[in-house]
Amino acid sequence: MNVLLLHLAILFVFPPLLLGSIGKTKAFFAGRIGPPLLQPYYDILKLMQKASVYSVTTNWIFRAAPMVSLAAVVSAGILMPVAGVKPPVQFGGDLILFVYLLALARFVIVLAALDTGSSFEGMGASREATFGCLSEITVFLNLTILALLSRSLSLSEIFLGGLSSSWLQVGPVLILVVVSFFLVLLVENSRIPIDDPETHLELTMIHEVMVLDHSGVDLAYILYGKAVKLFLFGTMLVSMMMTFRTQDLWVDTIFFFFEMIGFAILIGVVESTMARLRLNKVSFLLFSAFIFSIFGFIVILVRGAHP
Amino acid sequence: MNVWLDAILILTVILGLFIVASTRLGTMIQILGLQSLILGCAPLFMYAQDMELYIVLVSLVVIVLRGFIMPQFLFWAIRHVSLRSDVSPLIGAGTTLLLSGVAIAGSFLLASKLHFPVKISSDILIPSSFSLIIMGFLLLVGRTKAISQVIGYLVLENGIFLFAILLLKKMPLLVEMGILLDLFVAVLVMGIVINHINDEFKNMDTIQLTTLKD
Repeated sequence: MNVLLLHLAILFVFPPLLLGSIGKTKAFFAGRIGPPLLQPYYDILKLMQKASVYSVTTNWIFRAAPMVSLAAVVSAGILMPVAGVKPPVQFGGDLILFVYLLALARFVIVLAALDTGSSFEGMGASREATFGCLSEITVFLNLTILALLSRSLSLSEIFLGGLSSSWLQVGPVLILVVVSFFLVLLVENSRIPIDDPETHLELTMIHEVMVLDHSGVDLAYILYGKAVKLFLFGTMLVSMMMTFRTQDLWVDTIFFFFEMIGFAILIGVVESTMARLRLNKVSFLLFSAFIFSIFGFIVILVRGAHP
Repeated sequence: MNVWLDAILILTVILGLFIVASTRLGTMIQILGLQSLILGCAPLFMYAQDMELYIVLVSLVVIVLRGFIMPQFLFWAIRHVSLRSDVSPLIGAGTTLLLSGVAIAGSFLLASKLHFPVKISSDILIPSSFSLIIMGFLLLVGRTKAISQVIGYLVLENGIFLFAILLLKKMPLLVEMGILLDLFVAVLVMGIVINHINDEFKNMDTIQLTTLKD
């Protein structure tokens, strides 16, 4: 029971801290002090207290979307092992549910953006849908490789020890998976080389343009959902790379915190050192991610997952 | 299985993909240098159990010649013709990347059908060599600037080298050195030809050469 609470506590409380750490890292690179580490929490709390404004052209889809999206992302989180802790729900094949819950979250936000009737938001929706379907296939291919390596179709078995011997046997393939997954992660969470989460006024943005009409509690839900999504992808990346776990619960949790902060700093460094790609180069980047994972997949097929 | 050798092979193929996907000549040359450098270390890992002096020598020559001297020479060539990128390739970078992915799959398929008389220390060595050769071909046919075709030729040659290190024990040192000398002269000649094309015709687009008449 305690373990279950720990999992849920980390899942619910930790995510906005990631955004805060990314902000701090970027501020450090720019030579500024930057907003406080807990700023995302303040933002979400502030938005929670405000009322929402709804345009008269929208209908119930627009109002339901933020809630459905947050619910889908959090349900995906319930399937994901965090800090070496077993998730509350697990069954064979839950990785497919995981990917489609995230897809559902994206889908309702896209619908809500189309529902506003603004051509600007429609453009963002079109971009998000395009990049979404290009990245989904890569995510699935990577998960297939991981499933083959750990002989399991359940996220909790893959990430809790399923990969521990694979780094010694087929390390190079896992490096391919990690690189490809990191590229997809940047696309899925609209981080800098693909999309700039800071700007609101440029024609090239993807995710932010879809949520321009949301306000108050709805915007808080969307912000929080975005943080949880980043947290989930980060957890996956970190669990792929750090397969070593001491069996002590608290030591593992502390390790996990440091790993996630390291992950946030990595994203911050990427965002500070790279310029945003031109929009038509994004599909190119997704192609490369896809080819990396295809390459890994072929090597696994030829070599066998357990040589 | 030798994980380090696998890592080297996969890394060379990935760097090959980077070369194929980029159109900026400076980047292509840098990555080519890095690829050759990593490739030069392959014999050391492959024959780690029974190391002999000439294996170290071959590695060293490849690392110095291909990793450092040739990239310097190519840099000199692009400085001389003041060219920075291959702007209008016949096959776009995205398409080439996709074709390379197909090529990688194809070479794994092909390699699984072949039987070799010698013992192969890693079963992804032959496929990666084939993939590098095909990527070199793609660069050769897909690009219009002579300098990127030279880079394509060198990628192809890297693939052949990967194939040849299988026979390092059976092949005399002299042959290996002969190949390297050949290659060096070829690059030198091509560099000079590029410069002459540039001097004569004010650009070095090889497409233009087909329209030349007496």
